[in-house]
Amino acid sequence: MNSRKELINHFALMTEIIDQHQEGKRDVTFRVFRFNPQVDSKPYFDDYTISAERGITVLRSLNYIKEHVDPSLSFRAFCQAGICGSCGMRVNGTSKLSCTSQVWDELDKCREPGIIKVEPLRSMPIIKDLIVDMDPLVDKMKRYSNWIDSTMPLAEMGKKEFLVSEEEFHRYDKATDCILCASCVSECSILRANKEYVSPAVLLKSYRMNVDSRDSIHDVRLAELVKDHGVWDCTHCYRCQESCVKSIPIMEAIHSIREDALECRGPKDTSGAKHAEAFMEDIEKKGKLVEATLPIRTNGVVWTLRNLLPMAMKMIVKRRTPPPPPLVKPAKGIKIFRAMFREMSEHVKQDHLKSHKK
Amino acid sequence: MKRYAYYMSCINESMTKEVDRSIDFWQKDLGLEFVKLHEGTCCGGSNLDYVSPKHFALVNARNIALAEKMGLDLIVSCNTCLMTIRTAKKKLDETPALKKEVNDILKKEGLEYRGTSEVRHLLWVLVDDVGLDTIKAKVTVPLKNYRIAPFYGCHILRPSTVLGRDNPLAPSSLDQLIEALGGQTIPFEHKNRCCGFHTLLVAEEESLNVAAEALEEAINAKADFIVTPCPLCHTVLDGYQAKALKQAHIENSIPVFHISEMVGLALGYTAKQLGIKRHIVC
Repeated sequence: MNSRKELINHFALMTEIIDQHQEGKRDVTFRVFRFNPQVDSKPYFDDYTISAERGITVLRSLNYIKEHVDPSLSFRAFCQAGICGSCGMRVNGTSKLSCTSQVWDELDKCREPGIIKVEPLRSMPIIKDLIVDMDPLVDKMKRYSNWIDSTMPLAEMGKKEFLVSEEEFHRYDKATDCILCASCVSECSILRANKEYVSPAVLLKSYRMNVDSRDSIHDVRLAELVKDHGVWDCTHCYRCQESCVKSIPIMEAIHSIREDALECRGPKDTSGAKHAEAFMEDIEKKGKLVEATLPIRTNGVVWTLRNLLPMAMKMIVKRRTPPPPPLVKPAKGIKIFRAMFREMSEHVKQDHLKSHKK
Repeated sequence: MKRYAYYMSCINESMTKEVDRSIDFWQKDLGLEFVKLHEGTCCGGSNLDYVSPKHFALVNARNIALAEKMGLDLIVSCNTCLMTIRTAKKKLDETPALKKEVNDILKKEGLEYRGTSEVRHLLWVLVDDVGLDTIKAKVTVPLKNYRIAPFYGCHILRPSTVLGRDNPLAPSSLDQLIEALGGQTIPFEHKNRCCGFHTLLVAEEESLNVAAEALEEAINAKADFIVTPCPLCHTVLDGYQAKALKQAHIENSIPVFHISEMVGLALGYTAKQLGIKRHIVC
């Protein structure tokens, strides 16, 4: 009897779910991060269950909750159209804009069925609930001089125009799409490990300014970017690029700053530059990376002994140390490879001559 | 027998020799034949692309062209080599002028980059080509008592415009492989996170913090071991483990396996044969 009753209940529930789905309406729970540092000793989560229609966004759901369920819930939002960048937050663990995140799409990504988790962006101080403090990011924008300091003398301003070629425009066109939503900042692996790190949004903006011919402080900016916690600390995890709500290839911008640093300041300028250049040297010489001397070539003998000696001893015991340079076997056919590699070096030289003439 | 050209990553010829060694044990068991590319050169390790974009295109066009000459797909067992070579391939396929410039040089060696060979990870070959059912049927020592934390690493997932096999937010291929071998995957927040390898020599403290977070989660979840498809992730999570955990004030340890070793164990090879004893943590 019991099992028959259970079966009937089960069918009733199934019918309700199917009906709701067909109508494009269903009950959805938003598990929202709450924290008011002035009152709460620690953060907590509140569950809000509302009836949500197909097509509704996470932001509209939060607006509904604030208007009809809990006016104390705090979040930032403005344009509701993916333009202003105000409503960056983590939805189901991923940093994004809540105004362009469809509830129906998010339901497929829930860890617990039917429960959408909403949290503030990471790596930024929390002001209240989903509102984070953007000031540290703004301060970094200032530290790296992320504005155009015009090459045009003040007296000529307004009398002459700046001509920007189409080729130059395309170099920073995509970077100017950034709306400073800070999703990339929230996803950055290194910023999570050290709050001093420059952060991807700041690097992107620095790149955008540094490739602009109207700007006069390229060298000042670059000198700051190669210091500690700057461009060489990026660990190439691509989380910034993957989370960018405007699909900006942020890593390409970071790589371009590094390429620029190697060209303008030389390969021996910083440990990051030395490390990168070592790859080029080894490939030309052996076609293979000479890992045994990579730490020394990057940071010198003293650093290597102090930092890596205990681990090197363990590796010797386990027979997993990289072979010393003379024992690194060059790739088969290295002679012809080297000739081709050097031929490409000539091409690169010619390219540089042409671009400098321009 | 399915044949592939096998790219020999620098790290697998120096610090993580056990990767290629363990693959050699079981490749025939799974109907695979990997032809080693001894002429292949370093891919540039996610650095050459900005040191010199044109040399980056040349060396990787050559790596792929060597496989194309044999009419085979190029198989890679290091995430960063995979991402790097696929990035170069995308650039070459999208930029005819670069492809022509590179091919004019490659002619010297009788090579031509055409873009006909795919560049794929060993993990994808196991899951997609060999297939989970075949793998299940070949298992002789199921990993049934093991709770396993799958650590995918970055460069098999991101950038997704270059990789594209797994959903970078919810990857599943490694989980599927673990289950096919009879193991139990555990929910692991850090499965798609970073190991910190690429800044180990430049920002060591930050890199070790990144690694310690992943290790800590696996330890707290009482995983028996972490498994990774990337020898660079392995180097941090195993080789630098003691240093990372010390920095994070965590007194514990956890073994880290390569996927090639995990497959070998389930197919009946011993830890000693597979080189697991050579790990720093074992």
